[in-house]
Amino acid sequence: MTIKTPQLRFESLVVHGGLETGTCGPTTVPIIQSSAFAYGTASALEDVFRGRKTGPVYTRLGNPTTEALEKRLAFLEGGVAAVATASGMAAIATAVMSIIRSGDEILASASLFGGTFSLFRDTLSNYGITTRFVDPTDVAAIRGGVTDRTRLIFVETIGNPRIDVPDISAIAAAAQEAGIPLVVDATISTPCLARGCDLGADIIVHSTSKYINGTGSTIGGVIIDMGRFGWRNDKFPHFAPFVKRYREFAFTARVRKLIHKDFGACAAPMNSFLLTEGLETLALRMEKHCANAIALAHFLNGHPKVTWVRYPGLAESPFHEVAARQFGGRFSGLLAFGLADREGAFRFIDHLRMAKNAANIGDAKTLVIHPASTIYCDYETEDKALLGVAEELVRVSVGIEHKDDIIEDFAQALGEA
Amino acid sequence: MNLTVNGKKAAIADKESLSISGLLDELNVADPLYVTVELNGDIMERINFDSTLVRDGDEIEFLYFMGGGRG
Repeated sequence: MTIKTPQLRFESLVVHGGLETGTCGPTTVPIIQSSAFAYGTASALEDVFRGRKTGPVYTRLGNPTTEALEKRLAFLEGGVAAVATASGMAAIATAVMSIIRSGDEILASASLFGGTFSLFRDTLSNYGITTRFVDPTDVAAIRGGVTDRTRLIFVETIGNPRIDVPDISAIAAAAQEAGIPLVVDATISTPCLARGCDLGADIIVHSTSKYINGTGSTIGGVIIDMGRFGWRNDKFPHFAPFVKRYREFAFTARVRKLIHKDFGACAAPMNSFLLTEGLETLALRMEKHCANAIALAHFLNGHPKVTWVRYPGLAESPFHEVAARQFGGRFSGLLAFGLADREGAFRFIDHLRMAKNAANIGDAKTLVIHPASTIYCDYETEDKALLGVAEELVRVSVGIEHKDDIIEDFAQALGEA
Repeated sequence: MNLTVNGKKAAIADKESLSISGLLDELNVADPLYVTVELNGDIMERINFDSTLVRDGDEIEFLYFMGGGRG
């Protein structure tokens, strides 16, 4: 079904985008908690399976509650279609596996979330896929890393936990020259700071568990297709039937009809409802996350026990200029800072009273973690160095509490560090 | 002119010529910008919708894709 794109501003789109209104209907997206959908006649169900009519048949393949979330996210990123998944990692795995085949290469940022790094280096390598990791802030290194077997470039808008900011439009130009798609994980910037269609990405992925949900209640992911990559290309002969039949939806069709369907990492309707509810306050929350993060970054920057602070909102950050341009003067809510050593980091975390010590980001609550001993505890020292995970590093996902309460909590905990 | 449209017989008023684009209008096919047209088993390129004429006995499928977006 075609939905007319409402000519609304972002703050209104997060509330209304993709929601069809009837003469008398609910004001929230109904939770259609059903595995399957019954049709009155055999030919009616045949028509849906054959594509003559659109409609849900089985929740692994599609569900009306999930579809409402997908439509809203597609609007927000300026894409042509979206596929919601069970988690952010499911979104990344599904998107990437829909493009590559055995023998292909991925050119990926060396500043990646640990789960993505593990997927590329440790899992996909078992299936004949090689990943080259390069500094995403060095466009020359990206251009130099493309080989005749590279089939996609993968970067994060804000690296986690290195907190570096690649120039996405420059990388998009490199990808375009190479005739390969640019897949961008925009979890930390969200479409609130920059829309996928403006960044130059071909495909956007999110862990919707983070800022899009906003309350730490729900795991989810999404793949959003900008619909503009030219798959009619010698490098992608496996896309030919999809391009012919589905044109600008070729990528999404391949996702839905192969990997998403066959691997089955579908979104649960209840989760899609919670994510849609959370999404409605995204613009308001991001404003507060950004304001609190810059205030905390300034406080930490002037603290005698803090050895360094990584936050692109700080003028002295090497990524300040590109981030300011790319994200319209906002810098999201994620930062990292260093203490004297691992013990200092542990003492700091142990003495926090309000902020939570948890392996998550994008929650309304301020969260901290010592990545080296948790998310990256199984990684070799050289891999931690590659990913920017220092022993003295504390990662902070700055919440939406009163900024003075966050700063006071950090001040008293630093006093004990 | 007798056609088979989405598996069902359809009688279309005889015209001097009727293109695929004309048929989309004639049958008021939903979402014509997004529909995929299959003519006698072959998927058609959109650029040929205006120039391809339908003939008596043709089998035509109007197919849609997908949930989760504008398509």
